[in-house]
Amino acid sequence: MEIYEANKYSKLGIKVWPLMVGELWGARELVWQLFIRNFSVRYKQSLLGFAWAIVLPLMAIGTFVLLKKAGIVDIGSTEAPYPVFALIGLSVFQLFSSGLTVGCGALVKAGDMIAKVNFPREVLVLAAAASVVFDFLVKLVLIVCVCGAFHFMPSIGSVFFLFAVIPIILLTLGLMFFFSLANAIFRDVAQIVSIGGTFLMLLTPVLYPVPDRGLFFFRLNPLTALVEGPRDLFISGRISDPSGFFVAAVLSVIIFLTGWRVFHMVEAKIPERL
Amino acid sequence: MAVVLKADNVGKKFSRTLSQMMFYGAQDMAASVFGAIPDSQLLRSGEFWAVNDVSFELRRGESLGIIGPNGSGKTTLLRMLNGIFMPDTGRIELNGRIGGLIHVGAGFHPLLTGRENIYVNGAILGMSRKDIDRKFAAIVDFADIGEFLDSPVRQYSSGMYIRLGFSIAVHSDPDILLIDEVLSVGDRDFSLKCYQKMQEIRERGATIVLVSHNEYVIRERSQRALYLRHGRPVFLGPSEEAISLYIKDDLELKAIRSKEKRAEPQQGVSKKAEILGLRFLDKDENPVSGISTGKLLRVEVFFEAFGTIAQPVFSVNFYTDNGLVYSANNAYENIVLSDLKPGRGRLILTLPQLHLPTDTYYVSVMISEKNPADFIDCQHFAYTLIVERAPNARGTLKLSTAWALEV
Repeated sequence: MEIYEANKYSKLGIKVWPLMVGELWGARELVWQLFIRNFSVRYKQSLLGFAWAIVLPLMAIGTFVLLKKAGIVDIGSTEAPYPVFALIGLSVFQLFSSGLTVGCGALVKAGDMIAKVNFPREVLVLAAAASVVFDFLVKLVLIVCVCGAFHFMPSIGSVFFLFAVIPIILLTLGLMFFFSLANAIFRDVAQIVSIGGTFLMLLTPVLYPVPDRGLFFFRLNPLTALVEGPRDLFISGRISDPSGFFVAAVLSVIIFLTGWRVFHMVEAKIPERL
Repeated sequence: MAVVLKADNVGKKFSRTLSQMMFYGAQDMAASVFGAIPDSQLLRSGEFWAVNDVSFELRRGESLGIIGPNGSGKTTLLRMLNGIFMPDTGRIELNGRIGGLIHVGAGFHPLLTGRENIYVNGAILGMSRKDIDRKFAAIVDFADIGEFLDSPVRQYSSGMYIRLGFSIAVHSDPDILLIDEVLSVGDRDFSLKCYQKMQEIRERGATIVLVSHNEYVIRERSQRALYLRHGRPVFLGPSEEAISLYIKDDLELKAIRSKEKRAEPQQGVSKKAEILGLRFLDKDENPVSGISTGKLLRVEVFFEAFGTIAQPVFSVNFYTDNGLVYSANNAYENIVLSDLKPGRGRLILTLPQLHLPTDTYYVSVMISEKNPADFIDCQHFAYTLIVERAPNARGTLKLSTAWALEV
């Protein structure tokens, strides 16, 4: 039996978790269908199709290679050839930054559907996240190609590479839940996120290795460990700051669970606010 | 039989302005995150109850009509039943799979083909891929989109779009079907098909909640009706009674308005005569505001002439929302009335068997001299007549019949 009443979920306490998992499991088919929909719509009127996923990283890295060659920026030495190093960093970081960007639009873009049909709204966020993960997988192909071009052999630890990106995906999902809601009420959020994303990329060791000076400041940023961890695994086979990575991973899980819970609690109020 | 849908003191409030909506929205969301359960019974400034204190119960196979003027909360109530809005007060209990025809085709993507949209929309409505595969042929067949199946839906006509949306929704096998005025959108053929499908779903034991402005639809499709005004339930009971009550209330409001209108002097009309008033009488000469179809009706028109009017022409016109239904006019019937002398008078028009179908009619009355188009005075839509269903009759008309049986 289905019951609709005010503050339905607030009253449930801890028992809400199995309910949330159940709802999501029941909606897995919908997530898939929406992912397919977003995917085919995105590339319906485009010549390059999903190759667009690699255009931005190639350009960004090309720019940095040029700046480095010209001696304008001093990036320092990296264990792997610089393009490999930067490409991995950027691909992992873009899971986060593109995730937040599409997360802001996830609810707002589906306004019509939300106002008229009843379905678990989480699926919109998850389907958006799925498209970002797909882009990431496309970039992996590019990474392999670039490794081949520079005759770089990834370490044996790179088999765990995909597991090591799970924390940053969870962190992104958690924040996507928050930002999609916030943007549904105040559209300013999307602007802030797009500006903030650019700055965060420069403040996180994505295109450069962790510097020796100001180390404390970089360690405060959980993204540092979350980008560095998978990259270290790929290149050298061991994480240089395992405790930092562990703390950041735990933090990511907490943010994911909090975001999901908050989203679930207030999702019933979304349709009237859109 | 088991109760499948139960609404208990259900209420929903909305705010009037967008900024208040944003502010209260942020406040509410923050409150629920921090575990404070806000007192949703109270109205904050700028808020109003869109639906207030509605209760009813529906059993398997029953149907309920919801009627009321625009803005009375019908659609909001339906959206709450569908789980799109959570009620602020009270509670709704549902037993079974719910299907909403509140806005068909919501979630269609214009760039995707009909085929792709069937799968996406089906999933949104809670169908599994297997379900959709199994019903795919039936969905396409019912929607009747033929060769457009693999074209993007933005190339569809609005009728095709609605047909496809409706078809997916009805094939999701709901136990409770919520319908909001959608059936009036398609062409006649499709409307008929929809009603047949609804009937089929109902015979299968589904429960139907139907919002409509069309009183015939409510009368024919639901045994009971809920009449809402300003979000409050005015009446819940047999459809016929709910409709009469709604019409009566409506007429009272209109009467107040038309009185104001009548008081305004007519501009640009030469006043050689003036219509003073009009009454409806039944066969016993009693003034009435409603009459059963098929019965005798007299229309009494009071007027005053200020000069001599040769060959006066009177016309009494009956309109519904759809336009003119019948015009009684002595000139068109080649009946010459005697000239009018200055002074007051009365015209009596008798319709021995009123063959107008059940409905609410707005009545206009005009007086002219010789040429019916040149009226001296007129009162547009100033009066209302309710034509009621004939006792012991089905349908909206009562006609005189003759029967012959040859064996």
